[in-house]
Amino acid sequence: MNAAERMKAAINMEPVDRVPNGPFYEAPICQYYGSSFRAALLEDQAMADAHLAGLDEFKFDWVMVGMGLIGGIIPEALDCKVSYPEDVFPIIEETTIKSIEDVARIAKSDMFTKRMDRFLKGIAILKRELKGEIPIACEYISPFTIATRLRGTNEIMMDMYENPDLVRDLQEVLVPLNIEVGKALIEEGVDYIFYGADMECPILLSPKHYKDFVDEPTTKVCNELTRLGAKVLPHMCGSIVETGIVDMLMKMDIHGIMPGNLTQETVLDIRELKEKVGEKICIFDNINPNGPLLIGTPEEVAAETRAHLENAKGMSGYIFSTAGTSSPNIPKENYLAMNREVLNFQ
Amino acid sequence: MPETKGDLTMAVKDIAEAVAVFDRVKVVELVEAEIAAKTEIDEILNAGLIDAMDIVGKRFSSGELFVPEMLMAAKAMKAGLEVLKPHLSAGAVAAKGTVVIGTVKGDLHDIGKNLVALMMEGAGLEVVDLGVDIDAEKFVKAAVEHNAGVVALSALLTTTMPTMEIIVAAIKEAGIAVKTIVGGAPVTEAFADQIGADGFSTDAPGAVELTRKLLST
Repeated sequence: MNAAERMKAAINMEPVDRVPNGPFYEAPICQYYGSSFRAALLEDQAMADAHLAGLDEFKFDWVMVGMGLIGGIIPEALDCKVSYPEDVFPIIEETTIKSIEDVARIAKSDMFTKRMDRFLKGIAILKRELKGEIPIACEYISPFTIATRLRGTNEIMMDMYENPDLVRDLQEVLVPLNIEVGKALIEEGVDYIFYGADMECPILLSPKHYKDFVDEPTTKVCNELTRLGAKVLPHMCGSIVETGIVDMLMKMDIHGIMPGNLTQETVLDIRELKEKVGEKICIFDNINPNGPLLIGTPEEVAAETRAHLENAKGMSGYIFSTAGTSSPNIPKENYLAMNREVLNFQ
Repeated sequence: MPETKGDLTMAVKDIAEAVAVFDRVKVVELVEAEIAAKTEIDEILNAGLIDAMDIVGKRFSSGELFVPEMLMAAKAMKAGLEVLKPHLSAGAVAAKGTVVIGTVKGDLHDIGKNLVALMMEGAGLEVVDLGVDIDAEKFVKAAVEHNAGVVALSALLTTTMPTMEIIVAAIKEAGIAVKTIVGGAPVTEAFADQIGADGFSTDAPGAVELTRKLLST
Protein backbone atom coordinates (compact mmCIF):
# COMPACT_ATOMS: atom_id res chain seq x y z
CA MET A 1 0.00 0.00 0.00
CA ASN A 2 1.17 3.52 -0.63
CA ALA A 3 0.23 6.30 1.76
CA ALA A 4 -2.85 7.35 -0.18
CA GLU A 5 -4.15 3.79 -0.30
CA ARG A 6 -3.39 3.22 3.39
CA MET A 7 -5.20 6.36 4.53
CA LYS A 8 -8.14 5.68 2.25
CA ALA A 9 -8.44 2.11 3.55
CA ALA A 10 -8.41 3.28 7.17
CA ILE A 11 -11.02 5.94 6.49
CA ASN A 12 -13.19 3.29 4.84
CA MET A 13 -12.71 0.85 7.77
CA GLU A 14 -10.83 -1.56 5.52
CA PRO A 15 -7.68 -3.54 6.46
CA VAL A 16 -4.32 -1.76 6.26
CA ASP A 17 -0.78 -3.12 5.86
CA ARG A 18 0.38 -1.09 8.87
CA VAL A 19 -0.94 1.67 11.11
CA PRO A 20 -1.41 4.85 9.07
CA ASN A 21 0.84 7.61 10.34
CA GLY A 22 -0.93 10.99 10.33
CA PRO A 23 0.39 13.29 13.04
CA PHE A 24 -0.01 17.08 13.25
CA TYR A 25 3.55 17.49 12.19
CA GLU A 26 3.63 20.84 10.44
CA ALA A 27 5.37 23.00 13.03
CA PRO A 28 8.32 20.71 13.81
CA ILE A 29 8.85 19.87 10.16
CA CYS A 30 8.83 23.56 9.23
CA GLN A 31 11.38 24.11 11.98
CA TYR A 32 13.59 21.17 10.98
CA TYR A 33 13.51 21.75 7.24
CA GLY A 34 12.17 25.24 6.53
CA SER A 35 14.40 27.95 5.11
CA SER A 36 12.61 29.93 7.82
CA PHE A 37 9.61 28.98 9.93
CA ARG A 38 7.51 31.75 8.39
CA ALA A 39 8.44 30.86 4.81
CA ALA A 40 7.66 27.19 5.36
CA LEU A 41 4.20 28.09 6.65
CA LEU A 42 3.30 30.62 4.00
CA GLU A 43 5.41 30.73 0.85
CA ASP A 44 4.59 28.25 -1.89
CA GLN A 45 7.99 26.79 -2.83
CA ALA A 46 9.49 27.03 0.69
CA MET A 47 6.38 25.35 2.07
CA ALA A 48 6.55 22.55 -0.49
CA ASP A 49 10.30 22.07 0.02
CA ALA A 50 9.97 21.73 3.80
CA HIS A 51 7.16 19.17 3.56
CA LEU A 52 8.88 17.13 0.86
CA ALA A 53 12.07 16.98 2.93
CA GLY A 54 10.04 15.94 5.98
CA LEU A 55 8.24 13.21 4.05
CA ASP A 56 11.52 11.91 2.78
CA GLU A 57 12.82 11.29 6.29
CA PHE A 58 9.65 10.59 8.27
CA LYS A 59 7.51 8.69 5.74
CA PHE A 60 4.29 10.25 6.97
CA ASP A 61 1.12 9.00 5.35
CA TRP A 62 -0.07 12.48 4.59
CA VAL A 63 1.11 16.00 4.11
CA MET A 64 -0.41 18.38 6.59
CA VAL A 65 -0.37 22.10 5.88
CA GLY A 66 -2.45 25.06 6.97
CA MET A 67 -1.20 26.62 10.20
CA GLY A 68 -0.28 29.78 8.33
CA LEU A 69 -3.66 29.68 6.61
CA ILE A 70 -5.76 29.54 9.75
CA GLY A 71 -3.46 31.62 11.91
CA GLY A 72 -2.85 34.49 9.54
CA ILE A 73 -4.08 34.29 5.96
CA ILE A 74 -7.80 33.80 6.69
CA PRO A 75 -8.02 36.37 9.54
CA GLU A 76 -6.08 38.88 7.42
CA ALA A 77 -8.40 38.37 4.45
CA LEU A 78 -11.24 39.10 6.86
CA ASP A 79 -9.72 42.44 7.80
CA CYS A 80 -7.76 41.60 10.97
CA LYS A 81 -4.37 43.22 11.32
CA VAL A 82 -1.87 40.33 11.29
CA SER A 83 1.89 40.24 11.70
CA TYR A 84 4.08 37.44 10.42
CA PRO A 85 7.19 37.00 12.58
CA GLU A 86 10.07 34.93 11.20
CA ASP A 87 10.17 32.32 13.93
CA VAL A 88 6.66 31.97 15.37
CA PHE A 89 3.12 31.61 14.11
CA PRO A 90 1.27 34.62 12.66
CA ILE A 91 -0.05 36.99 15.29
CA ILE A 92 -3.40 38.79 15.12
CA GLU A 93 -2.55 42.29 16.26
CA GLU A 94 -6.01 43.79 16.02
CA THR A 95 -9.50 42.35 15.79
CA THR A 96 -11.99 43.77 13.34
CA ILE A 97 -15.54 43.28 14.63
CA LYS A 98 -16.34 46.00 17.13
CA SER A 99 -20.13 45.83 16.76
CA ILE A 100 -22.85 44.07 14.82
CA GLU A 101 -22.67 46.83 12.20
CA ASP A 102 -19.23 45.52 11.16
CA VAL A 103 -20.62 42.13 10.17
CA ALA A 104 -21.95 43.33 6.80
CA ARG A 105 -18.48 44.62 5.90
CA ILE A 106 -16.97 41.19 6.53
CA ALA A 107 -19.50 39.60 4.21
CA LYS A 108 -17.89 41.45 1.29
CA SER A 109 -14.37 40.19 2.01
CA ASP A 110 -12.23 38.93 -0.84
CA MET A 111 -10.63 35.79 0.55
CA PHE A 112 -8.20 35.41 -2.32
CA THR A 113 -5.44 37.74 -1.21
CA LYS A 114 -1.85 37.50 -2.46
CA ARG A 115 -0.93 35.41 0.57
CA MET A 116 -3.86 33.08 -0.11
CA ASP A 117 -2.73 32.70 -3.72
CA ARG A 118 0.78 31.75 -2.61
CA PHE A 119 -0.56 29.27 -0.12
CA LEU A 120 -2.75 27.65 -2.77
CA LYS A 121 0.21 27.59 -5.14
CA GLY A 122 2.17 25.69 -2.48
CA ILE A 123 -0.56 23.06 -2.37
CA ALA A 124 -0.50 22.79 -6.16
CA ILE A 125 3.28 22.20 -6.08
CA LEU A 126 2.89 19.51 -3.45
CA LYS A 127 0.09 17.86 -5.41
CA ARG A 128 2.23 17.76 -8.51
CA GLU A 129 5.29 16.40 -6.70
CA LEU A 130 3.40 13.75 -4.72
CA LYS A 131 1.74 12.32 -7.82
CA GLY A 132 -1.29 11.16 -5.89
CA GLU A 133 0.75 8.71 -3.80
CA ILE A 134 0.57 10.76 -0.61
CA PRO A 135 -2.63 12.65 0.26
CA ILE A 136 -2.71 16.26 1.35
CA ALA A 137 -4.49 17.40 4.50
CA CYS A 138 -5.11 21.03 5.30
CA GLU A 139 -5.94 22.69 8.57
CA TYR A 140 -9.09 24.75 8.46
CA ILE A 141 -11.17 26.59 11.05
CA SER A 142 -14.84 26.67 11.86
CA PRO A 143 -16.97 29.80 11.53
CA PHE A 144 -17.21 30.02 15.32
CA THR A 145 -13.46 29.88 15.83
CA ILE A 146 -12.92 32.45 13.08
CA ALA A 147 -15.52 34.63 14.80
CA THR A 148 -13.45 34.59 17.98
CA ARG A 149 -10.43 35.75 15.97
CA LEU A 150 -12.36 38.60 14.37
CA ARG A 151 -14.17 39.77 17.47
CA GLY A 152 -11.99 38.56 20.35
CA THR A 153 -12.56 35.39 22.32
CA ASN A 154 -13.88 36.96 25.50
CA GLU A 155 -16.20 39.18 23.54
CA ILE A 156 -17.73 36.31 21.56
CA MET A 157 -18.08 34.24 24.71
CA MET A 158 -19.99 37.03 26.46
CA ASP A 159 -21.90 37.92 23.28
CA MET A 160 -23.60 34.56 23.55
CA TYR A 161 -25.41 36.02 26.56
CA GLU A 162 -25.47 39.71 25.75
CA ASN A 163 -25.46 39.95 21.98
CA PRO A 164 -26.49 36.58 20.54
CA ASP A 165 -27.54 38.04 17.19
CA LEU A 166 -23.99 39.15 16.56
CA VAL A 167 -22.65 35.64 17.13
CA ARG A 168 -25.23 34.14 14.78
CA ASP A 169 -25.03 36.86 12.11
CA LEU A 170 -21.26 36.79 12.03
CA GLN A 171 -21.15 33.03 11.56
CA GLU A 172 -23.85 33.28 8.91
CA VAL A 173 -21.64 35.52 6.77
CA LEU A 174 -18.58 33.39 7.50
CA VAL A 175 -20.15 30.13 6.32
CA PRO A 176 -20.07 30.97 2.57
CA LEU A 177 -16.60 32.53 2.91
CA ASN A 178 -15.38 29.38 4.65
CA ILE A 179 -16.82 27.25 1.90
CA GLU A 180 -15.19 29.42 -0.79
CA VAL A 181 -11.80 28.81 0.80
CA GLY A 182 -12.51 25.11 1.26
CA LYS A 183 -13.55 24.79 -2.37
CA ALA A 184 -10.31 26.42 -3.52
CA LEU A 185 -8.27 24.10 -1.30
CA ILE A 186 -10.02 21.04 -2.69
CA GLU A 187 -9.60 22.25 -6.27
CA GLU A 188 -5.85 22.67 -5.74
CA GLY A 189 -5.53 19.14 -4.41
CA VAL A 190 -6.41 18.97 -0.72
CA ASP A 191 -7.84 15.54 0.08
CA TYR A 192 -8.49 15.89 3.81
CA ILE A 193 -9.95 18.90 5.56
CA PHE A 194 -8.84 18.94 9.16
CA TYR A 195 -11.69 20.97 10.63
CA GLY A 196 -10.36 22.76 13.69
CA ALA A 197 -12.99 23.66 16.27
CA ASP A 198 -10.69 25.09 18.90
CA MET A 199 -12.98 27.59 20.54
CA GLU A 200 -16.20 25.61 20.67
CA CYS A 201 -14.73 22.55 22.36
CA PRO A 202 -16.37 21.32 25.56
CA ILE A 203 -13.46 22.59 27.62
CA LEU A 204 -14.71 26.09 26.81
CA LEU A 205 -18.37 25.92 25.78
CA SER A 206 -21.34 24.10 27.25
CA PRO A 207 -23.08 21.54 25.05
CA LYS A 208 -26.12 23.82 25.13
CA HIS A 209 -24.17 26.73 23.67
CA TYR A 210 -22.62 24.38 21.13
CA LYS A 211 -26.09 23.30 20.06
CA ASP A 212 -27.52 26.84 20.05
CA PHE A 213 -24.67 28.62 18.27
CA VAL A 214 -22.24 26.22 16.62
CA ASP A 215 -24.01 23.10 15.42
CA GLU A 216 -25.85 24.64 12.47
CA PRO A 217 -22.97 26.59 10.84
CA THR A 218 -20.63 23.65 11.41
CA THR A 219 -23.09 21.25 9.79
CA LYS A 220 -23.44 23.53 6.78
CA VAL A 221 -19.70 23.82 6.22
CA CYS A 222 -18.81 20.17 6.85
CA ASN A 223 -21.61 18.86 4.67
CA GLU A 224 -20.70 21.16 1.80
CA LEU A 225 -16.99 20.32 1.94
CA THR A 226 -17.86 16.65 1.83
CA ARG A 227 -20.15 17.26 -1.14
CA LEU A 228 -17.24 19.03 -2.85
CA GLY A 229 -15.15 15.88 -2.50
CA ALA A 230 -13.04 16.26 0.64
CA LYS A 231 -12.81 13.90 3.56
CA VAL A 232 -13.76 16.06 6.54
CA LEU A 233 -12.14 15.41 9.91
CA PRO A 234 -13.26 17.57 12.82
CA HIS A 235 -10.77 18.09 15.61
CA MET A 236 -11.97 18.94 19.07
CA CYS A 237 -10.43 18.87 22.52
CA GLY A 238 -12.23 17.86 25.69
CA SER A 239 -14.86 15.38 26.74
CA ILE A 240 -16.69 15.04 23.46
CA VAL A 241 -18.31 11.72 24.38
CA GLU A 242 -19.53 12.62 27.85
CA THR A 243 -20.95 15.97 26.72
CA GLY A 244 -22.73 14.51 23.72
CA ILE A 245 -20.84 16.71 21.25
CA VAL A 246 -19.78 13.61 19.35
CA ASP A 247 -23.45 12.76 18.77
CA MET A 248 -23.96 16.13 17.10
CA LEU A 249 -20.80 15.70 15.02
CA MET A 250 -21.89 12.27 13.86
CA LYS A 251 -25.08 13.69 12.38
CA MET A 252 -22.88 15.66 9.95
CA ASP A 253 -21.30 14.30 6.77
CA ILE A 254 -17.86 13.71 8.26
CA HIS A 255 -15.32 10.93 7.87
CA GLY A 256 -13.35 10.89 11.09
CA ILE A 257 -12.78 12.53 14.44
CA MET A 258 -9.54 13.81 15.86
CA PRO A 259 -9.98 14.12 19.62
CA GLY A 260 -7.58 16.37 21.44
CA ASN A 261 -6.11 16.04 24.88
CA LEU A 262 -4.11 19.19 25.32
CA THR A 263 -4.94 19.25 28.99
CA GLN A 264 -4.14 16.31 31.18
CA GLU A 265 -7.61 16.51 32.71
CA THR A 266 -9.38 15.76 29.48
CA VAL A 267 -7.52 12.84 27.96
CA LEU A 268 -10.03 10.82 26.00
CA ASP A 269 -9.48 7.09 25.69
CA ILE A 270 -10.02 6.35 22.05
CA ARG A 271 -11.49 2.96 22.97
CA GLU A 272 -14.34 4.90 24.58
CA LEU A 273 -14.69 6.97 21.43
CA LYS A 274 -14.62 3.85 19.26
CA GLU A 275 -17.51 2.37 21.20
CA LYS A 276 -19.46 5.49 20.35
CA VAL A 277 -18.63 5.86 16.67
CA GLY A 278 -18.44 2.16 15.77
CA GLU A 279 -17.74 1.58 12.10
CA LYS A 280 -19.26 4.87 10.97
CA ILE A 281 -16.19 7.10 11.02
CA CYS A 282 -12.47 6.68 11.60
CA ILE A 283 -10.56 7.80 14.67
CA PHE A 284 -7.27 9.64 14.90
CA ASP A 285 -5.31 8.90 18.03
CA ASN A 286 -4.37 11.63 20.46
CA ILE A 287 -0.84 11.27 21.80
CA ASN A 288 -0.08 14.33 23.90
CA PRO A 289 2.19 16.67 21.92
CA ASN A 290 3.23 18.41 25.13
CA GLY A 291 4.17 15.37 27.15
CA PRO A 292 7.26 13.23 26.61
CA LEU A 293 7.26 14.23 22.95
CA LEU A 294 8.16 17.79 23.93
CA ILE A 295 10.00 17.36 27.20
CA GLY A 296 10.90 13.67 27.52
CA THR A 297 13.58 11.38 26.18
CA PRO A 298 13.31 9.36 22.97
CA GLU A 299 12.85 6.23 25.11
CA GLU A 300 9.93 7.83 26.95
CA VAL A 301 8.39 8.94 23.66
CA ALA A 302 8.73 5.43 22.24
CA ALA A 303 7.08 3.93 25.33
CA GLU A 304 4.14 6.34 25.21
CA THR A 305 3.69 5.77 21.50
CA ARG A 306 3.76 2.00 21.95
CA ALA A 307 1.14 2.26 24.70
CA HIS A 308 -1.19 4.16 22.37
CA LEU A 309 -0.64 1.70 19.55
CA GLU A 310 -1.21 -1.29 21.81
CA ASN A 311 -4.41 0.28 23.14
CA ALA A 312 -5.69 0.59 19.57
CA LYS A 313 -4.40 -2.76 18.33
CA GLY A 314 -6.85 -4.42 15.98
CA MET A 315 -9.12 -1.38 15.87
CA SER A 316 -10.61 -0.68 12.47
CA GLY A 317 -10.49 2.85 11.14
CA TYR A 318 -7.55 3.78 13.35
CA ILE A 319 -4.97 6.38 12.31
CA PHE A 320 -2.08 7.31 14.55
CA SER A 321 -1.85 11.02 15.33
CA THR A 322 -0.98 13.61 17.89
CA ALA A 323 -3.71 15.39 19.83
CA GLY A 324 -3.04 18.77 18.35
CA THR A 325 -0.39 21.04 17.05
CA SER A 326 3.10 19.83 17.77
CA SER A 327 5.58 22.41 18.95
CA PRO A 328 8.40 23.41 16.60
CA ASN A 329 10.62 22.96 19.64
CA ILE A 330 10.10 19.21 19.83
CA PRO A 331 13.56 17.65 19.63
CA LYS A 332 13.97 15.94 16.31
CA GLU A 333 15.17 12.71 17.97
CA ASN A 334 11.87 12.58 19.87
CA TYR A 335 9.80 13.00 16.75
CA LEU A 336 11.88 10.33 15.04
CA ALA A 337 11.41 7.99 18.03
CA MET A 338 7.61 8.38 17.80
CA ASN A 339 7.74 7.88 14.08
CA ARG A 340 9.86 4.73 14.29
CA GLU A 341 7.42 3.12 16.70
CA VAL A 342 4.48 3.75 14.38
CA LEU A 343 6.22 2.57 11.24
CA ASN A 344 7.52 -0.60 12.92
CA PHE A 345 4.46 -1.50 14.95
CA GLN A 346 3.07 -4.95 14.18
CA MET B 1 -32.61 43.42 62.65
CA PRO B 2 -31.79 42.32 59.12
CA GLU B 3 -32.62 38.70 58.27
CA THR B 4 -29.55 36.46 58.46
CA LYS B 5 -28.19 33.29 56.88
CA GLY B 6 -25.72 32.04 59.42
CA ASP B 7 -23.47 34.95 60.26
CA LEU B 8 -24.27 36.95 57.17
CA THR B 9 -27.05 39.31 56.29
CA MET B 10 -29.48 38.04 53.71
CA ALA B 11 -28.73 41.01 51.46
CA VAL B 12 -25.02 40.21 51.32
CA LYS B 13 -25.88 36.64 50.36
CA ASP B 14 -28.14 38.11 47.69
CA ILE B 15 -25.14 39.89 46.21
CA ALA B 16 -23.35 36.57 45.86
CA GLU B 17 -26.43 35.03 44.29
CA ALA B 18 -26.76 37.91 41.83
CA VAL B 19 -23.12 37.41 40.79
CA ALA B 20 -23.76 33.72 40.31
CA VAL B 21 -26.60 34.46 37.87
CA PHE B 22 -24.60 37.21 36.12
CA ASP B 23 -27.07 39.96 37.03
CA ARG B 24 -24.73 42.92 37.25
CA VAL B 25 -27.48 45.51 37.49
CA LYS B 26 -28.77 43.79 40.59
CA VAL B 27 -25.24 43.38 41.95
CA VAL B 28 -24.67 47.11 41.69
CA GLU B 29 -28.03 47.91 43.28
CA LEU B 30 -27.43 45.52 46.17
CA VAL B 31 -23.88 46.71 46.82
CA GLU B 32 -25.08 50.33 46.83
CA ALA B 33 -27.89 49.40 49.21
CA GLU B 34 -25.52 47.62 51.57
CA ILE B 35 -23.10 50.54 51.59
CA ALA B 36 -26.02 52.86 52.38
CA ALA B 37 -27.12 50.48 55.15
CA LYS B 38 -23.62 50.78 56.69
CA THR B 39 -22.86 47.08 56.31
CA GLU B 40 -19.18 46.36 56.90
CA ILE B 41 -17.33 46.96 53.63
CA ASP B 42 -15.16 43.89 54.21
CA GLU B 43 -18.27 41.77 54.59
CA ILE B 44 -19.70 43.01 51.28
CA LEU B 45 -16.36 42.35 49.60
CA ASN B 46 -15.62 38.97 51.13
CA ALA B 47 -19.02 37.38 51.64
CA GLY B 48 -20.74 39.09 48.74
CA LEU B 49 -18.25 39.30 45.90
CA ILE B 50 -15.23 37.12 46.66
CA ASP B 51 -17.24 34.18 47.96
CA ALA B 52 -19.45 34.38 44.89
CA MET B 53 -16.48 33.98 42.60
CA ASP B 54 -15.16 31.12 44.70
CA ILE B 55 -18.48 29.33 44.21
CA VAL B 56 -18.51 30.11 40.50
CA GLY B 57 -14.92 28.86 40.25
CA LYS B 58 -15.80 25.57 41.89
CA ARG B 59 -18.74 25.11 39.53
CA PHE B 60 -16.36 25.79 36.62
CA SER B 61 -13.84 23.26 37.93
CA SER B 62 -16.54 20.62 38.28
CA GLY B 63 -17.67 21.12 34.69
CA GLU B 64 -21.00 22.66 35.61
CA LEU B 65 -20.10 26.06 34.20
CA PHE B 66 -18.02 26.97 31.16
CA VAL B 67 -15.99 29.94 30.02
CA PRO B 68 -18.87 32.24 28.96
CA GLU B 69 -20.48 31.80 32.37
CA MET B 70 -17.20 32.51 34.17
CA LEU B 71 -16.74 35.67 32.15
CA MET B 72 -20.27 36.83 32.81
CA ALA B 73 -19.99 36.18 36.53
CA ALA B 74 -16.66 37.99 36.66
CA LYS B 75 -18.18 40.95 34.85
CA ALA B 76 -20.99 41.10 37.41
CA MET B 77 -18.51 40.84 40.26
CA LYS B 78 -16.35 43.60 38.82
CA ALA B 79 -19.38 45.88 38.49
CA GLY B 80 -19.96 45.43 42.22
CA LEU B 81 -16.28 45.90 42.98
CA GLU B 82 -16.24 49.22 41.11
CA VAL B 83 -19.01 50.50 43.38
CA LEU B 84 -17.17 49.25 46.43
CA LYS B 85 -13.70 50.48 45.54
CA PRO B 86 -14.00 54.10 46.77
CA HIS B 87 -15.05 52.73 50.15
CA LEU B 88 -12.23 50.24 50.57
CA SER B 89 -9.46 51.25 52.87
CA ALA B 90 -6.17 51.83 51.05
CA GLY B 91 -4.61 48.62 52.29
CA ALA B 92 -7.63 46.38 52.04
CA VAL B 93 -6.92 45.03 48.58
CA ALA B 94 -3.15 45.35 48.49
CA ALA B 95 -2.93 43.44 51.75
CA LYS B 96 -4.09 40.28 49.96
CA GLY B 97 -1.16 40.55 47.58
CA THR B 98 -0.26 41.63 44.07
CA VAL B 99 -0.02 39.43 41.01
CA VAL B 100 1.58 40.35 37.70
CA ILE B 101 0.03 38.30 34.93
CA GLY B 102 0.48 37.99 31.18
CA THR B 103 0.55 35.71 28.18
CA VAL B 104 4.12 35.04 27.16
CA LYS B 105 5.95 36.42 24.15
CA GLY B 106 4.79 35.02 20.82
CA ASP B 107 1.38 34.01 22.12
CA LEU B 108 -1.71 36.11 21.58
CA HIS B 109 -4.18 33.88 23.37
CA ASP B 110 -5.73 35.58 26.32
CA ILE B 111 -8.78 33.61 27.32
CA GLY B 112 -7.07 31.56 30.03
CA LYS B 113 -5.03 34.48 31.23
CA ASN B 114 -8.11 36.69 31.43
CA LEU B 115 -10.02 34.06 33.37
CA VAL B 116 -7.21 33.73 35.87
CA ALA B 117 -6.92 37.51 36.18
CA LEU B 118 -10.64 37.87 36.75
CA MET B 119 -10.70 35.11 39.32
CA MET B 120 -7.76 36.65 41.13
CA GLU B 121 -9.47 40.02 41.20
CA GLY B 122 -12.54 38.22 42.43
CA ALA B 123 -10.42 36.79 45.22
CA GLY B 124 -9.46 40.27 46.30
CA LEU B 125 -5.94 40.26 44.89
CA GLU B 126 -4.47 43.23 43.12
CA VAL B 127 -3.84 42.16 39.54
CA VAL B 128 -1.52 43.86 37.09
CA ASP B 129 -2.49 42.45 33.70
CA LEU B 130 0.29 43.04 31.18
CA GLY B 131 -1.74 41.61 28.30
CA VAL B 132 -0.40 39.25 25.66
CA ASP B 133 2.91 38.74 23.83
CA ILE B 134 4.93 39.77 26.89
CA ASP B 135 8.68 39.23 27.06
CA ALA B 136 10.89 38.55 30.08
CA GLU B 137 12.02 42.12 30.46
CA LYS B 138 8.46 43.41 30.81
CA PHE B 139 7.57 40.74 33.39
CA VAL B 140 10.65 41.54 35.49
CA LYS B 141 10.08 45.29 35.24
CA ALA B 142 6.41 45.00 36.26
CA ALA B 143 7.20 42.63 39.14
CA VAL B 144 9.67 45.12 40.57
CA GLU B 145 7.53 48.19 39.91
CA HIS B 146 4.42 46.71 41.55
CA ASN B 147 6.21 44.79 44.28
CA ALA B 148 4.45 41.65 43.11
CA GLY B 149 4.27 38.52 45.20
CA VAL B 150 3.49 36.29 42.25
CA VAL B 151 4.15 36.44 38.53
CA ALA B 152 1.69 34.31 36.53
CA LEU B 153 2.63 33.19 33.03
CA SER B 154 0.11 31.89 30.53
CA ALA B 155 0.55 30.12 27.19
CA LEU B 156 -1.88 28.30 24.95
CA LEU B 157 0.51 27.43 22.17
CA THR B 158 2.90 24.56 22.59
CA THR B 159 5.20 26.71 20.54
CA THR B 160 5.45 29.40 23.17
CA MET B 161 5.92 27.16 26.20
CA PRO B 162 9.73 27.40 25.94
CA THR B 163 9.38 31.16 26.41
CA MET B 164 8.06 30.42 29.90
CA GLU B 165 11.38 28.89 30.77
CA ILE B 166 13.21 31.98 29.54
CA ILE B 167 10.96 34.24 31.64
CA VAL B 168 11.21 32.12 34.79
CA ALA B 169 15.00 32.13 34.41
CA ALA B 170 15.06 35.91 33.90
CA ILE B 171 13.00 36.46 37.05
CA LYS B 172 15.35 34.28 39.09
CA GLU B 173 18.36 36.01 37.58
CA ALA B 174 16.93 39.41 38.50
CA GLY B 175 17.05 38.28 42.14
CA ILE B 176 13.60 39.56 43.04
CA ALA B 177 11.57 37.89 45.76
CA VAL B 178 8.64 36.80 43.65
CA LYS B 179 7.10 33.41 42.99
CA THR B 180 6.35 32.26 39.46
CA ILE B 181 3.36 30.19 38.42
CA VAL B 182 2.56 28.83 34.98
CA GLY B 183 -0.58 27.61 33.28
CA GLY B 184 -2.40 27.15 30.01
CA ALA B 185 -3.88 24.21 28.14
CA PRO B 186 -0.63 22.57 27.05
CA VAL B 187 1.29 23.19 30.28
CA THR B 188 1.85 20.26 32.60
CA GLU B 189 3.16 19.93 36.14
CA ALA B 190 6.19 18.09 34.80
CA PHE B 191 6.90 20.99 32.48
CA ALA B 192 6.48 23.49 35.32
CA ASP B 193 8.92 21.53 37.45
CA GLN B 194 11.35 21.25 34.60
CA ILE B 195 11.53 24.99 34.01
CA GLY B 196 11.79 25.78 37.72
CA ALA B 197 8.43 27.47 38.21
CA ASP B 198 7.09 27.62 41.77
CA GLY B 199 3.68 26.34 40.85
CA PHE B 200 1.28 25.12 38.22
CA SER B 201 -2.49 24.92 37.95
CA THR B 202 -4.80 23.23 35.51
CA ASP B 203 -7.49 25.89 35.77
CA ALA B 204 -8.29 29.40 36.94
CA PRO B 205 -9.77 28.54 40.36
CA GLY B 206 -6.75 26.36 41.03
CA ALA B 207 -4.46 29.24 40.11
CA VAL B 208 -6.20 31.41 42.69
CA GLU B 209 -5.76 28.80 45.40
CA LEU B 210 -2.13 28.31 44.43
CA THR B 211 -1.49 32.05 44.52
CA ARG B 212 -3.12 32.40 47.92
CA LYS B 213 -0.90 29.60 49.18
CA LEU B 214 2.28 31.05 47.70
CA LEU B 215 1.49 34.50 49.06
CA SER B 216 0.99 33.10 52.53
CA THR B 217 4.37 31.39 52.65
